Amino acid sequence: MTSKYQVKLSRRESLKWVGALSASTLIPNSVSALTIAAEKNTGKGHWPKLTLSPINAKGYGKDPNLLIPPKSPWPKTLTAEQLTLVAVLADIIVPREGTVPSGSEVGVPDVVDEWVSAPYTRQQHDRLTILSALTWIDDEAQLRFEQSFVNLTEQKRLQIIDDIAFEREDNDNAFMRIIPAFARFRSLVLAAFYSSPAGMKDIGYMGNVPIMGDYPGPTEEAMTHLAQVVKQLGLSL
Amino acid sequence: MKDKKHPVIVVGSGAGGAMAAYVLTQAGHRVLMLEAGRDYDPKTETPMFKTNGEAPLMGAGNVDKDFGFYDATVDGGWSVPGEPYTTGEGSDFLWWRARMLGGRTNHWGRYSLRFSEHDFKGKSRDGLGADWPIEYSDLAPWYDKTEYLVGVCGTNTGLDDMPDSSDGVLQPPPKPRVPELLIAAAAKKLGIPTAPMHRAVLTRAKDDRQACFYATPCGRGCSIGAAFQTTTSLIPMAKATGNLEVVTDAMVKNVTVDQHGKVTGVCYVDKKTKTETCLTANVVILAASACESARIMLNSKSKHHPSGLANSSGQLGRNIMDSTGTGLGAYIPALAGRPRYNEDGHTANHLFIPWWGHKAQEKGELDFPRGYHFEIGSGFGQPGSGVSSGLQGYGKALKQQVRDKYGSSVYLSLRGEMLPNEHCYMEIDDNVKDKWGIPVAKFHWKWSKHELNQVAHGLKTAKEILETMGATFDYPLPSAEKAILKGGQIIHEVGATRMGDSPKDSVTNQWGQTWDCDNLFVMDAGVFASNPHKNCTLTIMTLAMRNATWLSEQMNKGAL
Repeated sequence: MTSKYQVKLSRRESLKWVGALSASTLIPNSVSALTIAAEKNTGKGHWPKLTLSPINAKGYGKDPNLLIPPKSPWPKTLTAEQLTLVAVLADIIVPREGTVPSGSEVGVPDVVDEWVSAPYTRQQHDRLTILSALTWIDDEAQLRFEQSFVNLTEQKRLQIIDDIAFEREDNDNAFMRIIPAFARFRSLVLAAFYSSPAGMKDIGYMGNVPIMGDYPGPTEEAMTHLAQVVKQLGLSL
Repeated sequence: MKDKKHPVIVVGSGAGGAMAAYVLTQAGHRVLMLEAGRDYDPKTETPMFKTNGEAPLMGAGNVDKDFGFYDATVDGGWSVPGEPYTTGEGSDFLWWRARMLGGRTNHWGRYSLRFSEHDFKGKSRDGLGADWPIEYSDLAPWYDKTEYLVGVCGTNTGLDDMPDSSDGVLQPPPKPRVPELLIAAAAKKLGIPTAPMHRAVLTRAKDDRQACFYATPCGRGCSIGAAFQTTTSLIPMAKATGNLEVVTDAMVKNVTVDQHGKVTGVCYVDKKTKTETCLTANVVILAASACESARIMLNSKSKHHPSGLANSSGQLGRNIMDSTGTGLGAYIPALAGRPRYNEDGHTANHLFIPWWGHKAQEKGELDFPRGYHFEIGSGFGQPGSGVSSGLQGYGKALKQQVRDKYGSSVYLSLRGEMLPNEHCYMEIDDNVKDKWGIPVAKFHWKWSKHELNQVAHGLKTAKEILETMGATFDYPLPSAEKAILKGGQIIHEVGATRMGDSPKDSVTNQWGQTWDCDNLFVMDAGVFASNPHKNCTLTIMTLAMRNATWLSEQMNKGAL
């Protein structure tokens, strides 16, 4: 049994804002019952038909405060169950590695929630994709194992994920729709993780620090590597 | 303010307006500046050091903040609420407007390349477009003065596309970075030179502006004044003379004339009170941006100016040119997993590819008449909403893919010269008004074969450069028609009030003074007779400095 995902303090709240946990408004999505297409007995080829309540919130406008960005620019819309599922998936996509935290540990589900709840065109488009993917994953878990995804063993979870996380020539037709939808979700999870302080460190981003004097340019190690690359390619600096 | 005659009213506070105000106030003239947007102070408003992760949607752009959450542009962009514009049938045009003190200089790329004699005399060479009524030698000393005042880093390369600055004018450029050096090596093999980009970024402190500390993207604005914007330089300097008064939230509607057709002042809508005010002035300078200034003039019809103010030539609103734009990027396997270091630099191009094809064009070897340059997108940028896509799998292996791919893609952006053509123009849409009651602009647009052939050549060349770096393409290049960005999309629109030698085919003379009204000047990119591939801002400022100096002399002589 997976523990329920606890909404994190937004990363956006600098220390002086600590303590003000944003109470996010939860609007339950009206998710239609499982719709199983063609091959009923195997459950193959199913795709949820979601009827989503429209997002009518306002954006942050043309002149938001850039120094203290709005903490909750619009109401969050994911349910507790959806957040927990996102957390489980985020930790499959970005597991903890040694001292490097996992996706859910850096608050990826909150970022996903903010993203799919945003009143802008691109995010609204992603919302349908991502909520459909989440629903499909739970439907698939029910069909295969008669349990929700978060209640599956690690091994069973990965059986499903292994089927949908790779674009292969010989992918089963049943996964035609979930593969690109999962890919979009994965990109969002990676973005949320890598734009966190722990993620920036993990990817090796070393900028955003002021330098006194002239810009030093590439390190000796970087120049040595470049020299090798240039040689390999038959070029000269 | 309302009941006195102003010596000079300047409309707009961006590159042209602020420079004009700076020159005139330094020379002792009192100037009233009207800005349609709100007051804005980069010292207190710039989100320096804020990370993408701290912003809504990881800083991704949307209709509210087109270039991302932290972009300096506020209250503007591709759409301005309550301020629409329209397009003719079959025309695509995007009109970027900044409604704020300092205008687009708050967020611009700061690329500052001089036009050359080659650029000023294109028509003499190939019979297309229009020559400028000035020579490079007329402008060279003013380029020196402008570059020195603004603070531009770069070097004299001796390349035919890049005129030299005088000794001691340019500030030293920052060292190039790994992807730029690799592109330079690949381009060299193809016989294409690269050069340090000239940018309006201080690498040495100047007056009360600090030197760049090589962090935080310039597009957010710069609270230390290193990346040039008029709000941290020309406007405060002009204010310090005691001769500048600035009124923000003042949306200029039209220019007024007397019964003889002579310009007497301007009327504007105060956005806060929604009331209209008319002011009188001895001289009016329009610098509201090429198309906004033309819109004001087209909306200033009178008995003497039936088709718009100072439009006896019929050229007002015609000859609009943007830069051509397209791009091609690729993953460079040899750069995968390369050693990490701080690659922010001054957060834009340290190297770029200037136009190398003058001689080939001279010999008739190319099927397009005008040149382009490539800007380079690369580097270990701060991760944001687009950090990774097109990956496979999950878990540790996936994370390794992300780390390997980070900083291993490069993108070449083409920016090219467009020629004016009869299908690219603006007029007033008589059926639509903005929320201030001002009739809106209607744009017409069509690329010609000159632009399409140029873009096709650029894509082919970009592909060769990327392949030389080891990139592979498993898809054919898109057609030029598909690949070319929309008119206006590069935000280099110029020419709507072009200058010339004759009142028959131009709106202003070489001083930006309209042929029809001697006390009406245009000092934005509207006066450009052509649109070389070199980003307009440096030349807007240089012309404004030169022409405001001339105007000051005329006023001192009593001629105006």
